[in-house]
Amino acid sequence: MANDKTIWEKLQAIDRRVLYTLLMVIATVSLFFKVNVPTKPGQPTKDLYRLLVDADALPEGSTVILQSDWTQSTRGESAGQMEALLRILMRRNIKFALLSVADPQAPLVARNVIRAINLERKAKNQREYQVWEDYVNLGYFPNAEGTSNAIAANFKTAVAGRKETPPGSTTPLDVFQSPVLAKVSKVEDVPVYINVTGSKTSNILIERLGGRVPFAALVTGVMGPETLNYYQSGQVKGVAIGLNGVAEMESLMEKGLEESGKPPVQSFAGETNYGRGMAYYLALHTCLVLMIVAVVVGNVAMVAARKKK
Amino acid sequence: MIPWLAQAPAEPALNMWNAPAGTPEIWIKVGIAMLAGFGLLAALIAAPTRLRRPISAAFIFVAGLFWVLVFLFPKPIDSQTPHDQRPSGFVQNVSFWLADAIPVVSNFSNILTAFILGLGVFSLMRIHLMRVAKKQTDWPFSIVLLVSMVAMATFGYWDWKTRLDLGGAKVDEAWPLAAYGKDLLFDGMLQVMEAAMFSLIAFFILSAAYRAFRIRSVEATILLCAALIAMLNLMGAVVVTWDGMIESFGKDNAFLMNFTLSSVAGFIRDNLQTPGIRAIDFGIGLGALAMGLRLWLSLERVGGN
Amino acid sequence: MQSESYPIIKLFVGVACTVGLYSVLYRESKFYRFFEHMFLGLAAGWAMFALWGETLKSTWWDRMVGSVADEGNPAVPGYWAWAFLLPIGVMAYFVVSKKHNWISRIPIGIILGLWSGQQVQVWFTRYGPQMQSSMKPLFPTTWSEFITPLQPEAGAVYPAQVIGNLVFLLTLLSAMSYFLFSFETKSKLFNGMTTWGRWLLMIGFGAIFGSTVMTRFTLMIDRMYFVFIEFFQQGLIPLIGGR
Repeated sequence: MANDKTIWEKLQAIDRRVLYTLLMVIATVSLFFKVNVPTKPGQPTKDLYRLLVDADALPEGSTVILQSDWTQSTRGESAGQMEALLRILMRRNIKFALLSVADPQAPLVARNVIRAINLERKAKNQREYQVWEDYVNLGYFPNAEGTSNAIAANFKTAVAGRKETPPGSTTPLDVFQSPVLAKVSKVEDVPVYINVTGSKTSNILIERLGGRVPFAALVTGVMGPETLNYYQSGQVKGVAIGLNGVAEMESLMEKGLEESGKPPVQSFAGETNYGRGMAYYLALHTCLVLMIVAVVVGNVAMVAARKKK
Repeated sequence: MIPWLAQAPAEPALNMWNAPAGTPEIWIKVGIAMLAGFGLLAALIAAPTRLRRPISAAFIFVAGLFWVLVFLFPKPIDSQTPHDQRPSGFVQNVSFWLADAIPVVSNFSNILTAFILGLGVFSLMRIHLMRVAKKQTDWPFSIVLLVSMVAMATFGYWDWKTRLDLGGAKVDEAWPLAAYGKDLLFDGMLQVMEAAMFSLIAFFILSAAYRAFRIRSVEATILLCAALIAMLNLMGAVVVTWDGMIESFGKDNAFLMNFTLSSVAGFIRDNLQTPGIRAIDFGIGLGALAMGLRLWLSLERVGGN
Repeated sequence: MQSESYPIIKLFVGVACTVGLYSVLYRESKFYRFFEHMFLGLAAGWAMFALWGETLKSTWWDRMVGSVADEGNPAVPGYWAWAFLLPIGVMAYFVVSKKHNWISRIPIGIILGLWSGQQVQVWFTRYGPQMQSSMKPLFPTTWSEFITPLQPEAGAVYPAQVIGNLVFLLTLLSAMSYFLFSFETKSKLFNGMTTWGRWLLMIGFGAIFGSTVMTRFTLMIDRMYFVFIEFFQQGLIPLIGGR
């Protein structure tokens, strides 16, 4: 009959709620399969891993500055990046000074992840990271540009007045009295400056730090292409992008890194390496397949409709 | 040069710019400074209309001038040289003064930004209080908003104060009502809802791509192909499978290895994607530089006087 | 000690909030708007506290009034000049006044002035290294192999790399010409370059689209994980099964 729709026309007119339900079902079902999907880490993630794990680049016991600029709005990617990063830092006894410039919620979100990794270590009878001894929380600074400028000019005065309470005490003391920052007065004193971010704060840091200190970034997928631009020009020494970057990092933590012409980098085999990245990775595959199928079907339907006319 | 700029944590000398903490002297000086500041505000309110633009322009120019000077003026070799060991001379004095002033100016901008961010909260409260007072459309939802706001601020402050007084470790052990309230409202509700809000876009992207992503022009075709290759490269299983297939034909063949998905995606990323984004960035950078100069010199014509 | 039932209550509340917001996918309703307004209120309330607790208290108030000596901390005098910042901050709130809203331009102008003054330095720091890295070698240094071998010589530039570098340079120049030559021109060369620039930009946009899709899907996957794994599988089912 003249009014009969073809299968392609029916597909083009499908209700959007059917698509939403399909996406939800596919993602949810995939989450129940605990599969370590194989991955081939790209060069940016390999460089990041080498920077964090190589003893020459980042000696054990040294202090890094960790700028955590993400909140639960990007938990899917940023939490996995933060967890992988903290696992590496804690296993290598690297101290860190934590600060945030993007959002008032960011410091508390970061502290929650530290607490979770500490619980994981406690369950394995490993030493928990202590505030004051192993890390300090410098808090939130609302003006990203001004703070980054101040840190680049004089780190000590930029964060002056920030206090932390040593264990067993109720009196907050100046953070520069802690073992974490006792030997740090300017940004050049740290071997690496790390930024885990869901926004443009990595760009702001690159603009202001100006190559004073090796810079590593763990960014969301949206910021990935822009950050790769800085990676290519050498302004960022290593970068992990999105969930794919987390899965690559976890894979490197499990298997280590061997590259021709460079010394091998150790793995952390036997420890908990696969976490949120691998937990979500299969679901990402199935959702991306759905997206590709949707785009292809949509275009085939368009061509079929044109041919019918 | 100006002692109050050189703040150091360990017992600085007392001078006209400071006063001992906890004494009536500091409170009197703070009170006088605030009165003077509000007096300046009153003077600005009374300023004639023709002076408004020059006053705003003067503030903008002086603010920007600092950073321009920091960039252009010779820098001290070691900005952390103690005061009594610094060379004398006009140029050296100015360069050390600028270096010392950077953290103070940055702190200044942090504090001012915090006050300005409060304006957003203030506006929200004002709008919704008016909606409730005048019983405008959907005013019950405004009550929900205001109650949530007050509850979060109250429990947030209460928990923070408790942690300051008792210590964080004791609070985590004892879990007073403040801790429960803050944890439930912040972790249990706010964080969850923020994540849910941002995740909604995934559904809209899928629906939009299904309905609108069509090969109707050369540009759309290129965009689609590049997007497909990018998405395939994000799937580790696809990369490993494809590369494994190519490697099975000859792992040591440099020519064949160029056809692995990681090489193809890498070539596109390094030689097509990056320069494209870099070009966009250069354009934005030139625009930002021009806009920055125009703002600093107040060449921008903002609507009204 | 934390109550034993608290974690599951917290998860339940979180799932209820998630379902409330996700209801907009079916249809916008009063149910969705209730949770939407609750979210806005909580976010504003947190901002109200955090601006004081995380920022103003330590960076402004403590510097202004100082602190007395206590265990391990020397006395720090207060610097009264910081008090001027309160009236300047209050100026921003004059935006709501019809007669005096010009005063709000002063603090906002100060922040804009500070930003614009930095742009000169920022421009060179940000783009200098990028311009330098864009100067890629366009002539090979060795003809021993056309394709870059799997173990290349240190510092050698192979003909295949030169082709890649030429592609890089052409993409950069044609994409830049698309932005800079936005006026009408009759030159076929410029028109051709801008058209090529537009097409090559699409490759960058396609990659950006792919990355954006990954991010958005990951956020959605994370929410499904929260509801079905953290709440149902790890929270509710063991609780029901335990009884």
